[in-house]
Amino acid sequence: MGTILQLDNITKLYPGVTALDDVSLSFEEGEVHAIMGENGAGKSTLIKTVGGAIRPNEGTITVNGKSFDHLTPTLSSENGIGVIYQEFNLVPSLSVSENVCLGNKLGHRFYKDKKQMNAETSKVLEELGMEIDPNTMVSSLSTGQQQMVEIAKSMIKNCRVLIMDEPTASLSSAETENLLKMVGTLKEKGVTILYISHRLEEVFQISDRISVMRDGKYIKTLSTKETSRRELIKLMVGRDIGDEYPKRDTKPEDEVVLEVKGLYGQGDVDINFQLHKGEVLGVAGLVGAGRTEMAKMVYGYLKKDKGEIYAHGEKKNIRIPSEAIANGIGLIPEDRKREGAFLEYAIDWNIPIMMIKKASNGLFVDRKKITEIVDRYIKELSIATPSAQQLVRNLSGGNQQKVVVAKTLATEADILIMDEPTRGIDVGAKQEIYNLINELVAQGKSVLMISSEMEELMGMSDRIMVFYEGEITGFVDRENFEQNHIMALASGIREAA
Amino acid sequence: MKKINFDEVFKKYMAWIILLVVLILFSFTKNFLSFANIVNILSQNSYAIICSLGVAFLMMAGEIDLSVGYIMSLCSVIAGILNVQMGIPAVPTILITIVIGMILSMLNNFLSELLKINRFMITVATMSVFQGLSYVISKSVSIRGFSDGFKAIGQANIGKIPLPVFIMFFLLIVCSILMSKTYFGQYVYALGGNSEAANLAGINVKKMRYIISALAGALIAISAIILTARLGSAHSNTGPGTEFTAITGILLGGISVRGGEGKMTSVFAGVLIISILTNGMQLAGLDTYYQFIAKGIIMLMAIGIDVYNLNRRQVVRKSAK
Repeated sequence: MGTILQLDNITKLYPGVTALDDVSLSFEEGEVHAIMGENGAGKSTLIKTVGGAIRPNEGTITVNGKSFDHLTPTLSSENGIGVIYQEFNLVPSLSVSENVCLGNKLGHRFYKDKKQMNAETSKVLEELGMEIDPNTMVSSLSTGQQQMVEIAKSMIKNCRVLIMDEPTASLSSAETENLLKMVGTLKEKGVTILYISHRLEEVFQISDRISVMRDGKYIKTLSTKETSRRELIKLMVGRDIGDEYPKRDTKPEDEVVLEVKGLYGQGDVDINFQLHKGEVLGVAGLVGAGRTEMAKMVYGYLKKDKGEIYAHGEKKNIRIPSEAIANGIGLIPEDRKREGAFLEYAIDWNIPIMMIKKASNGLFVDRKKITEIVDRYIKELSIATPSAQQLVRNLSGGNQQKVVVAKTLATEADILIMDEPTRGIDVGAKQEIYNLINELVAQGKSVLMISSEMEELMGMSDRIMVFYEGEITGFVDRENFEQNHIMALASGIREAA
Repeated sequence: MKKINFDEVFKKYMAWIILLVVLILFSFTKNFLSFANIVNILSQNSYAIICSLGVAFLMMAGEIDLSVGYIMSLCSVIAGILNVQMGIPAVPTILITIVIGMILSMLNNFLSELLKINRFMITVATMSVFQGLSYVISKSVSIRGFSDGFKAIGQANIGKIPLPVFIMFFLLIVCSILMSKTYFGQYVYALGGNSEAANLAGINVKKMRYIISALAGALIAISAIILTARLGSAHSNTGPGTEFTAITGILLGGISVRGGEGKMTSVFAGVLIISILTNGMQLAGLDTYYQFIAKGIIMLMAIGIDVYNLNRRQVVRKSAK
């Protein structure tokens, strides 16, 4: 085994920002090498440099003994480097084989030889252990399958170094398992994998070595076997953050603030649960188990077939979100960028938008009141920004999420439904969100937290309610938290009654 | 201390800066900056500015309507039929016409909601329907003989200033306040910025779209009434083409085709830029067909500026990462 890819003194400057600061790294043939760091650490810039999407200001890239001062996408792929970006580069309206062979000259120059394309594609797919018909339209594949097609696309070009940027970010648990297996298969074939991920669990599961980056600088490369989560987090954040899941001193009260009885609709069947004052009720389940649908029905965003919702002990008829908000129910949606934030607008526009009608005299907005509220929430949630006029687009993921939370809190909601509140934000920001949840609960608010990260659920919840295919398969109390037990429930294996 | 960002300032006041440049250029023309000529330009273009205010509401909410000119055409012809052929007095004629404008605009919204496609595509179809209807009910002849009361809307003066100019400024102020000082305005921006997030934020997006459509329809109808009253006759040709002036002026005013930003006062400046250039081209004796070419090029420039602003913002974002 030798060094297949080496980066020396790579520096990339953007106006006002040093995205990569004199980074040197080397990758051995056939290893799974994870690159970790918080958002803005320079991971994406680094892989774009290797993929040829950007040109570094300084430094050399050595692939297989050949040195370059920069690469282009073509050059990169000719030298056996394949990149799977977070956004797939697939043409949805073409078949799997057409996508796999795209840009890869097969057969005749001017017309495509479908037979040959299918044969070559099948061969690669088989090698990777995938069962996809090469004639299938890409648009009809699941996200996980599309990713497989992306991998096949790289492999058909005999790629020796495969870079994956947060490959599991949008995959379900089963698909993630599949992908991790595939990484193993590729490794056996001697392919070097550069694996970028926020998820500590999977990094520890599959990687041989882990390189940590922070603020555009290379920090350290660790051997996975000889390190711990705590050490890794410390290196990424730059300080010891203590417990990953901060302790909470408060206990839930007996008072029920939200009760859902016999809720049906959007694929959900007979959902019944109670949320207590000061409680964090975790909602576990696989992607597509009907958790988000439940949340959006309670919130009045999706239509329910039947079912009763009691807020603060009274039966409420909630048909649209504004009625939920009026009853103190707030939803922090799953997709921050699409459903939560108004990215193109300033922070001081976003925070008051949900309560601006209430803060108006007739039609006219009370500017003074609004400014007070904006200042209060920026301070309370410690949103890191140079000014309240900053566009939300320009904030980090964690701060964007805080703005979205602030927007809902400003309505004075005390029943908060948080759908994947820490998705796509880095370790330090995650902890701030956890602290915030603890503070809210201490103030007597109640949180329904949907999450796909089992450890987060177990670390934060007082109770966990488990969904499987639109049904609740069980409730687990804190004392009985055990990953395998909850996973079993989430896979449809019910508790022995 | 707050740093002055020249890019931001330019973007915010782009329309006013361009207007100033155009004014300076034309100030060398004889009599251009005279009181009479300025009043004349304002009065001639009041209807276009009012119409643009309506279209601006739609565009700020992220929608584009191509049928505006034909809504005006229908409103003009209907006003003619009501006032001239049926002898209905000015005030009821005006009120009914406004209601019809609102209905036509809301119809576009209804169809867009029903067929789940954006308003732009719907109006490609409805503009043809409205055009046909307008020709059919007017039998494609011009309707003359409006009552004096009706004509006064377009032709009366208060002091030395024509009534349409007053109406235009009044509506401009109302719309501007509506957008900048009320929660309704914030909701319009919310729709244009991210309608999905607006919905989840508890804004009744469906209802808002109807209200915005109605408001736009009313302004479009008022624009048609003023134009008809000024001309003293109604014809199916009255109105079409205004949507072009409006969209170009709005883009020059810094409102994006993707919705969600801009100010009403900039729309005023944007439309004036086109009016003055048109006025200038006429004075220079440029053939009408050449004017079409010139207007198209101005529109392309306006689109170019819009796209440039969008891209620049993305570059800024990238470097901030």
